[in-house]
Amino acid sequence: MELSVQGLLESVGISLLSEWDVLAFVYRHGVSLTSIGQIAIFVGYENNVVARALDRLEREKLIERSRPSQEVCFYRISASLDAERQQRLHQLLSQSEGRAGRRLLAQRQAPVWSESGREEQSAESRR
Amino acid sequence: MSDGGPVKTGIQGLDSILLDGIPRTNVILVQGVTGSGKTLLGLEFIYHGIVQYNEPGLIVVFETSPDKLIRDAAEFGWRLDEMQQQKKLQIIFTSPQVFDQELRTPDSLLLETASEMGAKRIFVDGFGLLVPDSGGGNSMRGGYRELLQQLMESLSRENLTAMLSLEIGGAPSSIATVDATAFLADTVIQLGRGRHGRRVRRSLEVLKSRGQDFEAGEHTLQITSGRGLEIFRRVQAPLRTNAKQPTSSTMRSVIGVEAVDTLIGGGIFDGSTTMVVGVSGVGKTVLATQILREGALKQKTRGLLVSLDEHPAQIIRNAQTLGLNLEQQVSDGTIQILFESPQELDVDAHYARIVRLIEKHDIQRMVIDGMTSYSTAIGEVSVYRDFFHAIVAYSKQRLMTTFFNYENPEFLGISSYMPDFPVSSIVDNLILMSLVEINNSLHRCISVVKSRGSRHSFDTREFVIGQGGISLVPLEKNLVPALPLQSYSSLLSRAPTRFSLPKRINGAVAVQEKE
Repeated sequence: MELSVQGLLESVGISLLSEWDVLAFVYRHGVSLTSIGQIAIFVGYENNVVARALDRLEREKLIERSRPSQEVCFYRISASLDAERQQRLHQLLSQSEGRAGRRLLAQRQAPVWSESGREEQSAESRR
Repeated sequence: MSDGGPVKTGIQGLDSILLDGIPRTNVILVQGVTGSGKTLLGLEFIYHGIVQYNEPGLIVVFETSPDKLIRDAAEFGWRLDEMQQQKKLQIIFTSPQVFDQELRTPDSLLLETASEMGAKRIFVDGFGLLVPDSGGGNSMRGGYRELLQQLMESLSRENLTAMLSLEIGGAPSSIATVDATAFLADTVIQLGRGRHGRRVRRSLEVLKSRGQDFEAGEHTLQITSGRGLEIFRRVQAPLRTNAKQPTSSTMRSVIGVEAVDTLIGGGIFDGSTTMVVGVSGVGKTVLATQILREGALKQKTRGLLVSLDEHPAQIIRNAQTLGLNLEQQVSDGTIQILFESPQELDVDAHYARIVRLIEKHDIQRMVIDGMTSYSTAIGEVSVYRDFFHAIVAYSKQRLMTTFFNYENPEFLGISSYMPDFPVSSIVDNLILMSLVEINNSLHRCISVVKSRGSRHSFDTREFVIGQGGISLVPLEKNLVPALPLQSYSSLLSRAPTRFSLPKRINGAVAVQEKE
């Protein structure tokens, strides 16, 4: 299971726990009309962490967002996600529903806490 | 896609209560306590809009996860996920704050989406989350009122018919704002969920609806697994169409026994109502079976037996022991049996089922076996009375001949036809079936005490139940090894008294004396 989680994370293109949490939020809420601040409240990170996660997920073509209106956008899982990545994403989500799977995910993407105690660094900067 | 005319909800029974739907672009507030069916009503409103009327829709949720909404809807066979793929539906998860902001902004993404997909309906689940809490004071409430006005204006501009669900029964401090919502909404539908004995009863009432008339009062709401909501019009409501009541001068045999027809004045009029009153075990159900068989076999009329007392299998078996092959008529559909448990009876739904069966099978002769069980099951005398009146009115409108069996609690002789439910004046005919004790033996008797429009007999006749059902004991040739019935007086007053033989004094017949 451990190996498969690692492999799945890499193939989907996730490197941080915050990215995973934001991706899972977007996936589980279908189409959400919300702001970065609102997502931050839901997932429990600071606004700038969520903003970076959203930017990366969008760059990786994992999510789509609409034009902003008063800092609010529509967020949804990318419709152009290829079948293979979509399948892996589903597998990850399915595994993350169990406690063991979630722990593995957390271990694989252990965050490096900032002074504020909530911000994490990217995987690149940790190396 | 329909642009004109009222918006039909498509929910079973609701559009007829709304007299064909709700005026387009009305803001509909659905308020009720937890578990009353608000979310389901909204979901079904959107679902039927898409499926039946080709009107795309939006669902806005604050608390519920869209996944769960899709999962729950699938339980009723509504594939919301497929509708989303077809771009006929969009479920949007947002927060009350964002929703509030969206409605105030001129470039609203929400309304833009509605416009792009050609949405005609929108359901906002959990509108109460937009209601400011008690700490808000008048200024907050003023803001809320403003928000509502903006919402209504925006939705109307987009030609959207909105349904908002609002939970009530929570903090009393929110009453003022809830009232404001109800005041500003065009249509207010209140859902109820309460205890009836130990079971739960759901209800629906249209409190107001601008621009239309509707059936007022509390109707029954049921949630059926795999089907969704069903609203049953309250049974006492008079029919809107005040059509003339048809009458008939055709008389038909009751059970195919000439002597019984003679008692009742030659037969029974089509479209008449008859109450059969008798103690338990006197043979009311046997009479009911014969009434229906007579209709089905000889008069080619379809029959319906409604029972709260006996399961159809038991009714068929009991009839079989008397040589009455009811199974044959049930199999070929000429007789229908509707059995419902009195413990779970909901009178509005029950009435609707009876009406559906009558209309589906073109029933012309009906027996309701066990009015007493209705009294026990319904509990409230006024509801019981309404049910009875509705059945009588409906029967007459259809020119259907209807019999009601009523179990009189008095064992020997009766002092009142219907002690707990005096409606004998409403029916056209009244038949008494009594037990009489003669020589330590119980005898069955039948009398007709009322038959409108005919010259019925006031004779009390003895009858027996045997192979073939009920038959009258011949007057001349008594089968009972005792004195004939005519030898007794005061049979109905619980004191049968035998007449003595006439005495002859000097060749003349003296006045009869009692022994």
